Amino acid sequence: MTPTDAPGHDVTTTLDFLLQEVDGLRTRWVAPRRLRVDLPAETLPALLELLKGRAGYVHLSAISCVDWPDDGQFELVYHTWSYELNVLVMAHIRIPRDPGVYLSIYDLYRPAAFFERDIHEMFGLWFEGSPDMGKFILTEWEGPPPMRKEFDGEAWVMEQFGWQEYRPEWLTEIEAKGGGISKRPEQLRGDKGEDGTA
Amino acid sequence: MRPENYQAVSHPPSHEYEVFFGPNHPGIEGNYALKVRLHGDEVTAARADGGYLHRGFEKLMEGRLWIQNIALVPRICVPDPVPMEVCYSLAIEALGGLEVPERAQWIRVMQLELSRIAAHLFTFGGNAATTGMYTPMFWGIADRDLILDLFEELSGGRVYHIYNIPGGVRRDLPEGYLKRVSDTLDYIESRLPDYDNLMFTNQVFVRRATGVGIMTQEQALDWGVTGPNLRATGLPFDVRRDDPYLIYDQLEFDVPVEEAGDAWARTLVRRAELKQSLRILRQVVARLPEIDGPIRAPIPNPLAWNLPLGDVYTRVESSKGELAYYVVSNGGDKPWRVHVRGPSAMHAVQVLEHLVTGARIEDVAQIMFSLDACPPEVDR
Amino acid sequence: MTDLRTIPVVAAGEERPSGGQGNLLARVFDELTAFCRSRSLFMLHYCTGCGAVELPPAMTSRFDMERLGIQPMVTPRQADILLVTGYVSTKTLKRIILTYEQMNSPKYVIGICSCTVNGGMYWQSYATAKKLNDYLPVDMYIAGCMPRPEAVISGLRELIANIRAGRSDYWRDYYRRYDHYLGNQQRLFGENWQTPTDVIAEARHYGLFGPETLGEHTALLEQHQTPLQPFEMRLGLKQDKGSSS
Ligand code: SF4
Repeated sequence: MTPTDAPGHDVTTTLDFLLQEVDGLRTRWVAPRRLRVDLPAETLPALLELLKGRAGYVHLSAISCVDWPDDGQFELVYHTWSYELNVLVMAHIRIPRDPGVYLSIYDLYRPAAFFERDIHEMFGLWFEGSPDMGKFILTEWEGPPPMRKEFDGEAWVMEQFGWQEYRPEWLTEIEAKGGGISKRPEQLRGDKGEDGTA
Repeated sequence: MRPENYQAVSHPPSHEYEVFFGPNHPGIEGNYALKVRLHGDEVTAARADGGYLHRGFEKLMEGRLWIQNIALVPRICVPDPVPMEVCYSLAIEALGGLEVPERAQWIRVMQLELSRIAAHLFTFGGNAATTGMYTPMFWGIADRDLILDLFEELSGGRVYHIYNIPGGVRRDLPEGYLKRVSDTLDYIESRLPDYDNLMFTNQVFVRRATGVGIMTQEQALDWGVTGPNLRATGLPFDVRRDDPYLIYDQLEFDVPVEEAGDAWARTLVRRAELKQSLRILRQVVARLPEIDGPIRAPIPNPLAWNLPLGDVYTRVESSKGELAYYVVSNGGDKPWRVHVRGPSAMHAVQVLEHLVTGARIEDVAQIMFSLDACPPEVDR
Repeated sequence: MTDLRTIPVVAAGEERPSGGQGNLLARVFDELTAFCRSRSLFMLHYCTGCGAVELPPAMTSRFDMERLGIQPMVTPRQADILLVTGYVSTKTLKRIILTYEQMNSPKYVIGICSCTVNGGMYWQSYATAKKLNDYLPVDMYIAGCMPRPEAVISGLRELIANIRAGRSDYWRDYYRRYDHYLGNQQRLFGENWQTPTDVIAEARHYGLFGPETLGEHTALLEQHQTPLQPFEMRLGLKQDKGSSS
């Protein structure tokens, strides 16, 4: 969608004009009220500061992390919302997977503390300057950060847990009539490669 | 009269200790914990402790088909599951370029608002119970059950409906359904004066709630609070109005605000919102019969459904605040990444810690319920 | 009047004299306890999972569990039933086990929801435990996702009938086969798992010490068991140095 057919033409021009002040941005209107910005990781603080200071982007809706192991990168997406412009700006940056370190934006947005802590727990990323990176959800978890793609949750479960036999009477009755479960859960759990899981 | 030999017991001047508040505690909402440090009965520091309800949803979703996940998402917020389904479906529709038929959109709005009423009634009950008033809880939950009956008729499930699927809704309304919806609305409306008498004009509740857990608008914005908690500080922001989805832009409703920002204001906002939901539902019930057409856009074989590469961020207004899903597809039949932004994640952790600090121990439960924190959203 | 102390009360743990034999008074007394127990059940107020959302309807005006003599109770010490309502994440499971060990016997565990039976829809999840009866003796499962209040109530009624007939004594199993349960707990929580309750001593005390109470897992427990210390709680705040990384 081009900026001109996005509703609120003036808002889009304001934003587009404003964003020219930061170098290395690629902007794209993905939907009405949704502006996608791709930028190098170093410029993100500058962009957020600009947005917060000049366009009323006071609300950090979320920080999402996406793992791209093939590219060896983590993608971080900062969703910010302006109560004045009513446009959501999604700033996408990519950082190398290996040291997995990035800057905290806690001094700009307080909610970042929660998201950064969450991403640290789930992906193992480290945010420089975040107020508290202690464990919150996974306090009893000692394995690798579970949301990383290389962690195979299902295999871990298979190794860790046993399963309960479940043969209720009604099932036996149905089976006596020739019906029943065509594929036992054990089978499904066993051959996962063939037809997907469960 | 004190006996002659009376000696006042002298306590050490500082009386500090720490207690667990939850997870196994009647004053906590769901399975969640707060560790609080007390000085006498005043809380001097608090620390939220979550993760008791962690199921690794985001990981689970990566291992299941697009359509399978629709059964998982309502579990993320137990008292208010419909926004979860709708938000996830909206994301898939945006990714797959599906156009939801108008009738389905109206039905979805009806579900969303019914769910909001149910969730608010539930919260009223819990909130009143923290001040020792159990009757609103008994009533609120019994009235909520009437809405669950409507859901059950429509979808077969009382709590989890799995009724909104990508493309539309699962089946059309049964005959006479709208009549029953409007009867239920009448009933709930007729109950509101009772709730007012019992709870909203009850000095037991009013005094326990006024001035407790005050949050200024500045703080609320700073902490990223949304939903009724933000509106209770005077900022009229509602995703339904300011970032409209479905057919909310065709509906008439107000965004109630309060200025005080304390527990009482938050409760009042919810009460006003309940009335607005009733108003929306009345419009939906009036309009729905005129809107004909399919209830579902045709979707490809869901078992072999590859969504095109892309990502999308969808937001809806749940009863707790702004709920958002960030969904990434890498072109496969399963999501590459789903990130759930539960509204409670903001106000159940940092905000709760802040508001509780300085409060008295007996108000902690009240603050938590007035914020309407939903732990499963935090833990996912 | 007979002196109450002369009534040969069947000590917990001894096999109940089968019908017909034994002292009539003792049987009457037993019957009476069973009846009283079955009619005043306190259910621990602990919402462990999403199934808990059907409990308020079951308890309040509409379905009204109180007419069966079942009431929520806030402390484990005074509760009879531990209702495990839904999936148990590892973190919750630890708390559940601590809670269970704190409860006074006789105590009953009910697993509500399919998730407690076999992991339910979270069977692939790394965070939830799958079979509740690996870790605790479960008296009854109420399957369903989630079970309706009617199902919960009918399950509880069955429990009442079981208690009345003296069939529901799985809590003894926890003492008799402690090694088994402890082994499973250790497998999930790591070898250093230790609860503040001394289950083995309790088993001796109740006369429920069985051949399987001790075993390799309890030996492991004894090896690294640290004496109980007053619990030091740290909020992990900035001023508590070094508690958070
Ligand atoms: S069985 Fe269903 S309702 Fe029960 S805990 Fe599991 S997912 Fe929740």
